[in-house]
Amino acid sequence: MVACLLSVAAGCGAAGAQAQVGPQPVQIGVLAPQGPAQAAQAWAHLEPYLEAAVPGRRFEIRTFDLPDLSRAVAARSVDFFIANSGFYVDMEAAHGASRIATLESPQASSPTEAIASAVIVRRGRDELRSMADLKGRRVMAVSDRAFGGFQVAWRELKQAGVDPYADLASLSFSGFPMQQVVLAVRRGEVDAGIVRACLLESMVQQGQVREDEFTVLAQKGGAFPCQRSTRLYPDWPFASLKHTPNDLAKRVATALLAMPRTENGHGWTVATDYQPVRELFRDLEIGPYADLRERSLKGFLQRHWVWFALAAALLAAWLVHSLRVERLVHARTAELRRALEQRAQMESEARAQQEKLDHLSRLGILGEMSSMLAHELNQPLAAIGNFARGMVRRIEAGRLDAAPLLQASHEIADQAERAGGIMQRIRGFVGKRASRREPVNLRQTLEGAVAMFCSMLSHPPAVTLRMDPACTDPWVQADRLQVEQVLLNLMKNALDAMQALPPSERRIVVECVPAEDHFRVGVTDNGSGLDPTSVGRLFEPFFTTKPDGVGLGLAICQRVVEAHGGRIWAAPAPQGGVSVFFTLPRTAHAQSHPPE
Amino acid sequence: MPNPTPLNDATIFVVDDDAGMRRSVVFLAESVGWQAQGFADAESFLAAIRPDTVGCLVLDVRMPTMSGLELQHTMQQRGIDLPIIFITGHADVSLAVQAMKQGAAEFLEKPFRDQALLDAIAQAMRRSLATLDARRVHRTVQAQFEQLTAREKEVALCVARGQPNRVIALALGISARTVQVHRQHVLEKMQAHSAAELAALMLPVLAAAQGPV
Repeated sequence: MVACLLSVAAGCGAAGAQAQVGPQPVQIGVLAPQGPAQAAQAWAHLEPYLEAAVPGRRFEIRTFDLPDLSRAVAARSVDFFIANSGFYVDMEAAHGASRIATLESPQASSPTEAIASAVIVRRGRDELRSMADLKGRRVMAVSDRAFGGFQVAWRELKQAGVDPYADLASLSFSGFPMQQVVLAVRRGEVDAGIVRACLLESMVQQGQVREDEFTVLAQKGGAFPCQRSTRLYPDWPFASLKHTPNDLAKRVATALLAMPRTENGHGWTVATDYQPVRELFRDLEIGPYADLRERSLKGFLQRHWVWFALAAALLAAWLVHSLRVERLVHARTAELRRALEQRAQMESEARAQQEKLDHLSRLGILGEMSSMLAHELNQPLAAIGNFARGMVRRIEAGRLDAAPLLQASHEIADQAERAGGIMQRIRGFVGKRASRREPVNLRQTLEGAVAMFCSMLSHPPAVTLRMDPACTDPWVQADRLQVEQVLLNLMKNALDAMQALPPSERRIVVECVPAEDHFRVGVTDNGSGLDPTSVGRLFEPFFTTKPDGVGLGLAICQRVVEAHGGRIWAAPAPQGGVSVFFTLPRTAHAQSHPPE
Repeated sequence: MPNPTPLNDATIFVVDDDAGMRRSVVFLAESVGWQAQGFADAESFLAAIRPDTVGCLVLDVRMPTMSGLELQHTMQQRGIDLPIIFITGHADVSLAVQAMKQGAAEFLEKPFRDQALLDAIAQAMRRSLATLDARRVHRTVQAQFEQLTAREKEVALCVARGQPNRVIALALGISARTVQVHRQHVLEKMQAHSAAELAALMLPVLAAAQGPV
């Protein structure tokens, strides 16, 4: 492919120079499906006509078969070509060929409906009537790349459920000229032949065969004058190539359109639409729509299957041998790989689990702390109470022994110290990390917190994140983790407030609204709401409306928000729940901190 | 009748893994004149306790090795009949119900008023003593009964069932006069003043002797 492109590039300069020099004749490549002699004769009139119509340029007609013409186009050794529609569409995609005129044939009523195939059988083969009847028969065509001579019929075969490469007893290609196909059918070498429509009629006219020797399968009606088995496609185009100078192409096109019809009725008209051809190629997955080599390889394999079978047998024998040797290695390797994969999977599962647990603990931190705190503080407080009451009773009873009273006093002091230690630990727990301030993208933080919150719950409520359109670049100077904890806490509160609702009706809205110097974040639930006195006391430490709450969550949120220079407050939501809002001061996004 | 057990023999056992809590309850109990003894876990308490100990147990529900409820169960299996006052840091209704079903005397939630604990202790002590006294009376009667001769035992059982001498004589194949002599000896040896008193004393013995007679 690379080599091909290189040769094309190299040819470009040469062709350009050639066109400018002038004396070099303009090369017109012509496809010769019925042999070079016939083609040369058929197109002989073009040379003198074009030379007359385009003064100062000489024209040379050269005949090619399909592969040669294709090579000539690739090598830029022709400036124009005349060929069938299929070849043209192929070249259009591969080498940028561009049609400048379409042939008008005497037999076609319209240049867009000029080409078809005829599938011929020897007359008297009554068992062969439709395309489907060809299944399991010997069929011949001119070439697998012939358009009217094969591909057009292939499409009809495919639609009739016959894959010519798989369902036929044999598929052979005669090569040009196409008349050989007709003769092979007549000799009975094959059951059916695929030829371009009108070939049979022209052969009859020239006396090469008799009309009553053949039948055309699956005949279609219509204005087309020849017998055909397929639908109609556009006639042959006259095409220029990418390297063909524009003004030359234009002058040739004008000349062609002005050309009077020849005595056998051929003329040129405005270039028509070749879309039906592209559709055919797409249907068959060939031409520009597939790798042609794959098809020809398949054909090659079909022709030389014996050798391939032998080679395959040898290969299989060798394979069996090496398999026997390597089977153990393979088994061991597979085992090892499985074990490694299993381990990797377990590790990743464990990691995911750990991450989830981390998140969970961060969310549940205050809830966990509340019961822990209650239990741990209960012990020293109850002990202090007992010692103190005991001392009171002793003193009241006049039992003033110094030793037990002193011991109790020491105990009280110890227990008070212990309670203080517990408080110290809780404080350390809450503020474990040193607070960090850095530019934080609020949008990402909100999205992250919402995702985290939802991922932690087996039945998360519907959480809607509403970003004000003006919140395009919401950067705040903050400790992302702390802001996340505030958000998680507020969402947890919102969820707790909706416990009375059925899960499907629990809704949380998280929104961000920009203001001049800050962003306001709101978390709103659709729970039953709070009475006005409770709303006023929400942020007092140890104020709680939950049966198992400690009343520290919002107090801690307040501490965090205020430490960030923001404000936090609650308000009844219009639709009945509660909204908690907090603000964070805006910051200019520093260039040195690109978004994560 | 034997004398009631004096209160100063009774001990309050405190089993709690929290040292501060344990010592404070012991101190509080001692402050009002009880004997009290603390244990850090159920196992060391079980090792120290004897079946006939008088007193009550103040027990923490949640302990690391053997929970309060498990200790309660073990004590029942070993026939240790001490009233138990449970103390818990968590209001747990189902736990309380289970403890009370298993015969707990009281279930207190921390923090509790000292008076509530002391009242519970006093009531548990009374219950323990009553149980113990009943057991002692039973043991005395049983011992006296064992002192009787075989014939006297037969007569005693019949008298306790309220049978007249004549019926007893017929049943045992002896004369009514002989029965009367035995009856006198039985009443003397059992320290009973009348047949009715003997019947009352003999109730547990009767229940035990149901089979052979």
